[in-house]
Amino acid sequence: MNPLQFLSRRESLQRFGSGFGGLALGTLLGKAASGAMARTAADAHFQPRANAVIQLYMHGGPSHVDLLDPKPLLNRFDGTAPPDEVADDENRTRNLMGSPFSFRRCGESGLEFSEIQPFVSQHADDVAVIRSMFSEHRNHEQAIWMAQTGMTTEGRPTLGAWTAYGLGTENRNLPAFVALPDPGGASVDGVRNWSSGWLPPHYQGTVFREQGSPVLNLKPKQPRSRAIEDARAQLLRQLNEQHLAQRPGELELEARIDTFELAGRMQLAATDALDLSQETKATQKMYGLDDPTTESYGARCLMARRLIERGVRFVSLFMAGQPWDTHTNNNDGTKKCCQRTDQPIGALMTDLKRKGLLDSTLVLWGGEFGRTPAAEQRNAKAASGRDHHPYGFSVWMAGGGIKGGQHYGATDDFGYRAVENRTQTANLHATILHLLGMDHESLTWPHNGRDERLTDVYPARVIEELLS
Amino acid sequence: MRCGFVQKQLLITSTLLMVALCPIGVRADGEKRELTFDKDILPIFRARCIRCHAGVEPKAGLNLTSPSSLLTGGDSGAALRIRAAEFSLLYEKISSGKMPPVGQKVTAEERGLIRKWINDGASGVSNAAVVDRSADVTEVEHWSFHPPVRPDVPRVRQADRVQNPIDAFVLQQLEEQQLTLAPAADRLTLLRRATFDLTGLPPAPDDVEEFMGPDDSGDYERLVEDLLASEHYGERWGRHWLDVTGYAESAGILSEDRELPLAWRFRDYVIRAFNSDKAYDRFLQEQIAGDELTDYWTAFESDDQLSEDVVEGIVATGFLRTAADPSRPDFKTIKNAASQYFYPTLFDTLQIVCSSTMGLTVQCARCHSHKFDPIPQVDYYRMQAVFMGAYRPDDWVPQMNRRLPIASKKEKEAATKKNAEVDANLKKLKSELAALKTAFTARLFNDRLNTLPEQIRADVKAAFAVKAETRTKVQMYLAEKFEKTLRPKDKELDAALAEYSEYETGAGDLKAKVAVEEGRRWLFDEVRALYDLPGEVTTPVLLRGDSLTPGPLVEPGVILSLATPQAFQWTAPSTEAKTTGRRLAFARWLTQPDHPLTARVMVNRIWMHHFGTGIVDTPDDFGVSGSPPSHPELLDWLATEFVRSGWSVKHMHRLILTSNTWRQRSRVTAKHRAACEEVDPENRLLWRQTMRRLEAEAVRDAFLAVSGTLNPKMFGVSQAVARQKNGEVIVPAGADQNRRSVYVKIKRLNPETLLQVFDQPTMSVNCTQRSQSTVSTQALTLLNGDTVTRAAHAFAERVTAEQSDDPVGRAVLTAFARPATKDELNLLSRFFEDQKTQYHSEIAEADGRTPETLAAAEKKAHVDLCHMLLSSNEFVYLD
Repeated sequence: MNPLQFLSRRESLQRFGSGFGGLALGTLLGKAASGAMARTAADAHFQPRANAVIQLYMHGGPSHVDLLDPKPLLNRFDGTAPPDEVADDENRTRNLMGSPFSFRRCGESGLEFSEIQPFVSQHADDVAVIRSMFSEHRNHEQAIWMAQTGMTTEGRPTLGAWTAYGLGTENRNLPAFVALPDPGGASVDGVRNWSSGWLPPHYQGTVFREQGSPVLNLKPKQPRSRAIEDARAQLLRQLNEQHLAQRPGELELEARIDTFELAGRMQLAATDALDLSQETKATQKMYGLDDPTTESYGARCLMARRLIERGVRFVSLFMAGQPWDTHTNNNDGTKKCCQRTDQPIGALMTDLKRKGLLDSTLVLWGGEFGRTPAAEQRNAKAASGRDHHPYGFSVWMAGGGIKGGQHYGATDDFGYRAVENRTQTANLHATILHLLGMDHESLTWPHNGRDERLTDVYPARVIEELLS
Repeated sequence: MRCGFVQKQLLITSTLLMVALCPIGVRADGEKRELTFDKDILPIFRARCIRCHAGVEPKAGLNLTSPSSLLTGGDSGAALRIRAAEFSLLYEKISSGKMPPVGQKVTAEERGLIRKWINDGASGVSNAAVVDRSADVTEVEHWSFHPPVRPDVPRVRQADRVQNPIDAFVLQQLEEQQLTLAPAADRLTLLRRATFDLTGLPPAPDDVEEFMGPDDSGDYERLVEDLLASEHYGERWGRHWLDVTGYAESAGILSEDRELPLAWRFRDYVIRAFNSDKAYDRFLQEQIAGDELTDYWTAFESDDQLSEDVVEGIVATGFLRTAADPSRPDFKTIKNAASQYFYPTLFDTLQIVCSSTMGLTVQCARCHSHKFDPIPQVDYYRMQAVFMGAYRPDDWVPQMNRRLPIASKKEKEAATKKNAEVDANLKKLKSELAALKTAFTARLFNDRLNTLPEQIRADVKAAFAVKAETRTKVQMYLAEKFEKTLRPKDKELDAALAEYSEYETGAGDLKAKVAVEEGRRWLFDEVRALYDLPGEVTTPVLLRGDSLTPGPLVEPGVILSLATPQAFQWTAPSTEAKTTGRRLAFARWLTQPDHPLTARVMVNRIWMHHFGTGIVDTPDDFGVSGSPPSHPELLDWLATEFVRSGWSVKHMHRLILTSNTWRQRSRVTAKHRAACEEVDPENRLLWRQTMRRLEAEAVRDAFLAVSGTLNPKMFGVSQAVARQKNGEVIVPAGADQNRRSVYVKIKRLNPETLLQVFDQPTMSVNCTQRSQSTVSTQALTLLNGDTVTRAAHAFAERVTAEQSDDPVGRAVLTAFARPATKDELNLLSRFFEDQKTQYHSEIAEADGRTPETLAAAEKKAHVDLCHMLLSSNEFVYLD
């Protein structure tokens, strides 16, 4: 069924016509929502704790036992076969593999981070690590869908799209949901990482780029002078107005005229938002823009802050390919990923804090699963690698509404299986929506004869322990 | 916080130390033995669990003493999922220590045994014996579950407005509300509307001029006939059908998004079927069971060649191959691949079949009986059994291997024989070629050795004569120094050998012979088809839709609550039969004339594409939670008329396009609008035609058409798309860049940008109704995108060439299919002059003012003008 059927034509135009505006909080619609519409909207929310999200998506599945979940026993029994508790019946892993990285207690709270995150760990007291995540699939794509869309099936809307649908944007000249892919190449699962699934395309992530034109087709390939550009715009407006004058009351036509006006404003707003030269040298250095290793991710982190500052609701950052997928040389690969991202993320946290934005911005860090506590045995070359591992892994959250300086849940002594406060993805999603002021059961969209939601049929629970 | 943290960590460490000291790898017997329920698992349950989980009223409804009750499970569902211990409730409860709640815990070793037993396949556990039917909806009297009955055509007051029965039904409901139809639209509006509706293209400017002439009675009817006869008709309506089939040309799911090189044959089949007005019942039968319908296997076994009908039949089954299917041969090694990859393809297939042909949301019944519709879970799996002869999740054939050659058995055998000959000849030729090369390589060695200084020649020769590992230090030095000279490799060797004309001639001859021989190889075109596989077919009901918790087996069947005059008729064929006949039985049941849904759903779809909204505005849900029809009698009249006409889709177009209902104006007087909107603000009663925006393909095709660059080449391999540096995905430059959009390759993860921003669906399953967005990315794509920018240039050139004295007037006529008004001409001319002046002054700064620079400025101004016409509302909306 077409979800738009639930809205009258006029209503849907109010929503989509102007190009922006979320549904759930009804900010643009006031109380005019019809009964049908109320069915689709999240209602009577909580006081939001955050009004924006920066998602640092870590493609490939970062190794929790090397980063956030210290396991002394793993080092102690390094090289031995895993005990019954954690044996892998697929025989992909046979030798436990300790982490070469030492863990340190950080901040007032003493939250532990491994040594390869010297910058993020400085924010230990703002970070809550969930050590008891588990997922349902061992393959990247399906696990990514679980992490991003709530289920291991293809084609559902991402968390960012749900947020855009729920909250709209505060800045009418910028989209609500912006994706910042790596100019070095596509991430695994490509454009689906910011898809709106069966939500209207309006809610999909708009890709902003750090090089060239910030938004696709924002500028002509052959530059035009202001005068030329203005005359074109004026002609188009006149043609459209004449056309509309003969068709009074056709709201779609008005809406379409608006999109051209908005495109013009977006040219300015987006160009301004992505102009990193407006930042001081010190800030640029803090993000690592002066170092080729950190430059690219640093630029995206800084872009994320500038976009959030301008009212964008959800910014997703990606890296090319899946750098955390350390089937071989896990130690080296994990370390390299940190070298690229740790300083920029630390800088982002510092920057958000000093700008007073961290309280209202939720920062999410994590991938689709973790990695096996034992060395991968699928082939000889992979001896020092770790395989995909959905049974227990870590993610972290910080900022808006999060009680930092704590870890939540635990895996067993080898980091194999989440055993304490086991956390399914739906709980994480419900908590994120809650922090944004939305109830995961009320934020729904009619599709295929049912009211779909991010957490689908999962009996999800908001993780109160994480809230400040 | 710090304190508590440390303590807890220590506690866990000390309790688990012992566990780590007795790893599974050093188990005493060291023997690999299958764990069984009776020997290994039941004793554990007996010791730890049966105090509660046994007997007549076990706790939480879960009885652990019988292997047959584990999948049925208890109140919280199945206790285990086969081969998935980590995701089984039983393992979850015992490993988290929640069970047993009191008494001695399950030991680590016991946990390991249970886990391993489940992961090894849970030997001893049998399918759940029963399915919970308590939630089946049985008592529903829903209109669409009963066959349509042809109503009498009503009599209306305004009989003069009735062109055909459609108008009578529509007027009847309007008159009940004291409303009426809007007047007919003018001829040019109808020309543009009809041309886009039927062909997805704008009318040619010459046609527009012809229609501007005096009203020739009957010319409108002739137009409709011409459009229906146009080959472009199939491209337009084929695309509509491809939406509901979920057609794409890449496998989906995985990021590799592997291309499906043979998929286009199905697209061509669909286009041809619409163009030839293939009867819709036959169309469905072929797509569901073309192989069985045309008796492919008999033809394969006994005919010299496959007939066109047979080939068409197997190509048509591409319909059942559109669901995303990333399977590869190496998927065999993936644990539970059937559950994770193969079953989902089957689920999607059934969803596609049922939503496209019957307008039912059956997928709900995969996990539980449908909550609103009388579709029990068991019926869902009966329908799944229809496709199980071909799709066998437990014995899956990777997608790229599911194809049939266009060849009979005789041809295949002849080809095998011939190709064996070819292989033998090739082998001989290639060994001759190798021998020749070896001989000349040796000669090269000697010739080059002889160019070395005489003093070292013998030593070098000796160094190369012995094996590398037995060389002395001096020999190693010499070998290394002269290796490149004496024994060049790869390209260098080829270049050196080329110096020997004798070799060149000999090798050239041999290579030519190889090419000739390769050309003799007998290869067949192949079809991406669906066909039954050999072997016994079993179809379990899957509890909660989970193939790791299988339930009782079912036989093929259909939704029993659908009141079809003819029941589903199928008898199991002999075990030697090449095909099960299940799909043909289903197709025959589906296409019986009085099927409650088949005709209704299709006429509703046709209606939707002509009016923007269906009579049932939920085209994929004719069930209880779908919308009721706005004109129930009209729907049934159309459905029965469709069947009476021999399921002719073109007959339905003819009826609709010649009705006064369709021919209404969309621009109505304020008075008419005010009166009608008060009663019916959504225009469900059809008091006017709805203004509609062109779909993605029509937008792109219209750019190509008005710019005169449309390449009309039909059929065949699709045009590849490529992602540009800036992220835009376009059809790259080349001879076929400007073919119609239906021939542009559809990659699920790399959709063409222009099409995507105008809402061409990204196929995850299928698309039964497109959504329509109006967003600023569309504006940006139009103002600065690749396709439209190119089109604007070509458009400007075209109109100048066609009418150099009035290019602006010609541009308006071509873009909008109507003559320009005086006001418009003034506006556009003023823009043109101003823009020309501006461009000229900009160009003049660099190049001065010359006739050439003026011409350049003129051209740019003209391109801008054309570009804005293409971007305007009028261009993308139909009145």
